[in-house]
Amino acid sequence: MGFRLPRLSLEGGAVLHYELDRVSPGELSETGAGDRHLGEEDFWGRAALVIGPTRLHAGVVRYVFRGDPAQGGVGSARNTTEIYAALSTTSRYVNPTLEAWWDVERVRGAFLRASVDLPILGWPFPPYAFVFVQGEMGLNVGQGPNAARPAELSNFAARGPTHAGLGMGTELRAWRLSGIGWTTVALGLRSQLNLDDATRIDGTGRKRDVNVWLWTGITVVLGGDARSRQ
Amino acid sequence: MSRRRRFLLQVSALLLAACGPTRLRVPGVLSPAPRPGPEAPLQAGFGRADITPPPGVGLAGNGPEGAEARGYRVRLYARVLVLADGGGNRLALVVADLPLSSTLLHRRVAELTARTDGIGADRLVIAVTHTHAGPGHFFEAAGYNDEGSSILGFDPVMVDSLTARIARAVHAAVANLRPARVAWGSRAVWGETRIRSLPAMLRNIPPPTAPADAPIGLAQEYALVDPELAMLRVDQRDPTTGTFRPAGAFSIFAMHGTGNAPSNDLLDADIHGLVERRLERHIDRDLNRVSDSGFVPRAVYLFANGAEGDVSPAWPPQSRCDVARLAVLPALEGPFTRTLWEWRAPTATHLGACRHAARAAITVIGQSVGDGAVALFDALGASLTDRLELGRSFATLALRDSARALGICPEPALGISTLVGADDAHTRIQGWRLFGVFDVGLKQGSPNPDVPGCQAQKRQLLDAAFGGLLNHLFISGNLPSYAQVMVLRLGNRVIGAVPGEVTTTAGRRMREQMLAGARGAGLPASAALLLGHANGYLGYIATAEEYTAQYYEGGSTLYGPGEAAMFGRTLARLAGSISTGDSLPPNAAPPLDLVVGQQRHIVPRRSSGRVPPPRIERTWCSGDTLYAWLQLGAAGDWPVSTGDVAPGPRVEVVVNNSARNVASWDDDPTLELRLRSRRGGLAWWELRWSGGAAAGLQYRVRIPGGTEGDAVRC
Repeated sequence: MGFRLPRLSLEGGAVLHYELDRVSPGELSETGAGDRHLGEEDFWGRAALVIGPTRLHAGVVRYVFRGDPAQGGVGSARNTTEIYAALSTTSRYVNPTLEAWWDVERVRGAFLRASVDLPILGWPFPPYAFVFVQGEMGLNVGQGPNAARPAELSNFAARGPTHAGLGMGTELRAWRLSGIGWTTVALGLRSQLNLDDATRIDGTGRKRDVNVWLWTGITVVLGGDARSRQ
Repeated sequence: MSRRRRFLLQVSALLLAACGPTRLRVPGVLSPAPRPGPEAPLQAGFGRADITPPPGVGLAGNGPEGAEARGYRVRLYARVLVLADGGGNRLALVVADLPLSSTLLHRRVAELTARTDGIGADRLVIAVTHTHAGPGHFFEAAGYNDEGSSILGFDPVMVDSLTARIARAVHAAVANLRPARVAWGSRAVWGETRIRSLPAMLRNIPPPTAPADAPIGLAQEYALVDPELAMLRVDQRDPTTGTFRPAGAFSIFAMHGTGNAPSNDLLDADIHGLVERRLERHIDRDLNRVSDSGFVPRAVYLFANGAEGDVSPAWPPQSRCDVARLAVLPALEGPFTRTLWEWRAPTATHLGACRHAARAAITVIGQSVGDGAVALFDALGASLTDRLELGRSFATLALRDSARALGICPEPALGISTLVGADDAHTRIQGWRLFGVFDVGLKQGSPNPDVPGCQAQKRQLLDAAFGGLLNHLFISGNLPSYAQVMVLRLGNRVIGAVPGEVTTTAGRRMREQMLAGARGAGLPASAALLLGHANGYLGYIATAEEYTAQYYEGGSTLYGPGEAAMFGRTLARLAGSISTGDSLPPNAAPPLDLVVGQQRHIVPRRSSGRVPPPRIERTWCSGDTLYAWLQLGAAGDWPVSTGDVAPGPRVEVVVNNSARNVASWDDDPTLELRLRSRRGGLAWWELRWSGGAAAGLQYRVRIPGGTEGDAVRC
């Protein structure tokens, strides 16, 4: 949903996290052990200012967790709200983004994330395919434990880098109907080096330094500019 | 193998076959032996067909950067000249306002005309003007149908429609045969064309030099073109008065059909269309004093292309629009949304400005070349004769199977410079570097000295990693496999018809070889001409020296550095074996097995069964441009459904006075018709006329025989 002016836009949306497979006790999960179901709902709103190739975003996100803590899931006690600001720019070869996040409800301090998308050409003509490399790094600046106030909650184990990620993906503009919109199918491989004890957690009593996973997604865009975009 | 697995394999094989490219077997129908009759020593007949398709087709010529046609501006015609001698020999010359010629189209038309008019494949030339604002989807090779424009695919309806229309026009020209007088001549047209790949041309040995009559001070790329406008003027005897009157002409001039910017989205005959109309109107109005020459001129001017491979019209740089650039899709960026990429088109303001500059250039160049054609036509009136010996030779080359004997590479390959696009139309990947740092050869003039073998120097897609494997697996099978080559004798001229885009130097060499071949066989040939884009399309034909530079033309020379020399030898051989009064052996036109690509419905089929009378919804002015919205015909209608020539326009702009003087119509370069929608199976159009409305006058949009819109002042 959004309201757009030439340079300024106000937008909002919701993201639902659904765990697709049945979770065994001790596995890393939001829902907890038991049947698959909705684990998290995130509601967001933001304002975006576009100045040439540069975009400035500021927004708020409300996290609502639906897991069962008794089964090892994440429950409503962890519900929280964050605000964020992000700066992105795009050139022909690189799309860097710098984000800053603050939890305004449960945790003090800030979390910074820097990411970069590097497009490789893919197939530049119809049917379009895009190939890109993605890099990402997280930095905790104050969301770790505070020795002076040990009762406070924390998101990370220590101040400093939290993780570094590297991935490669491809998008295929799979279907386009002039005047209606288009569908993109994406597929990628992602790796992450976990640098903080909090990001290393891989279930009850288990830790992992490196994660590698495949991801895929379908994006459907209907109406508006999508009717004529390439 | 289990029954279930076998069943799955069979289903998979069927699905793969269904999704695979369409294959066609096309027969070769040669002309029967002519039967001498009591006719005059020389007869000529003209014909014409409207071949403007409906919107929705891809505009071919600029490759995948070519837009979808949204409507039309200057209509597309196929013009035909049939020449016949007293021995019953007939030759049909067709010049169509199309982007590329097609072996498939040539063979299909010949099948029909051989039966009705005795004109088979060996006596039929279908050449095209190479307008980049013409439709695709009828070519003989999958690569050209599937990547010829942004609309992918081969459409049999396009082939059938063009075939029927062109065959009707040939038939009409035969019916129009009259005693005739003709004259050959030529004239230099300087300053309207230029060499677009000069560094490649300068590699030739010996280096090219400008003709002695080149104007002093002309820049090198303008001075090194072949400026010759060659013309055969044709006068026909008027059956009522018995006098000979100017009727039309056939010309060859080397110039790409790229006056329009690549972002153009209208079907249009480009510069060639203006040149054709300039001489046709001159013949009608100034020479024949026809006061009611009508919507379509009576005279017919076939303005064919020559060795234009590296020759662009002299358009200004501001007439080329920026291409789409890679950008992220900002509307979809949420806090958790992965970045999505898109190709973002330039702004509408930018596109409007460069298209306007292109239209201005088309007008200026069309006027200048048209003036040259008029002057030449008039000058030839003093040397008309009723003697014109006709002859022809014809061969079909199986390029892959006979590669060794022909001296070319056995497997065609596409150079990476082809993907980058030529000077007329850079594609979006021109100059691209991996991560912005690593040069991967996506530019003009980037040979790869490490490529071994027959296609040495040709940098191919990802050849550093895969060698020629990607070309072998995904590209070469989609490229053409045959070449139909023809040499005509028209009096003391021999004309080589070649299925491709020959560069200036390669063309000059071919002409010399052809002339030597003809003279060696005892023919009194005074000059040789080269007709490009004829009877098929094989890409570009650059010299071996130009090939090593790997500019666009060299990268698109599919069968390697020996291709131009091979065509030179073939033309020389054919020039030495021109015959007349005979029929050729079947092996001159064997059946062809063509892979034409993905078959799709591209030409609109669905129309409303009940089409109401046309109506004009509204008319208004914005600045000096007049606009109108109108409902006109059904959604799938071709502008002329039968392929005949329309007796009048579909829509006109008239002065709001009692005489209703016509200011413009839907074949005028200043009037554009764009399809707005196909709502209800009907065609809803937008008309734009920016033809310089006179101050103080009011105008109306009128549908002849129908309705009139409101009067507006622009």
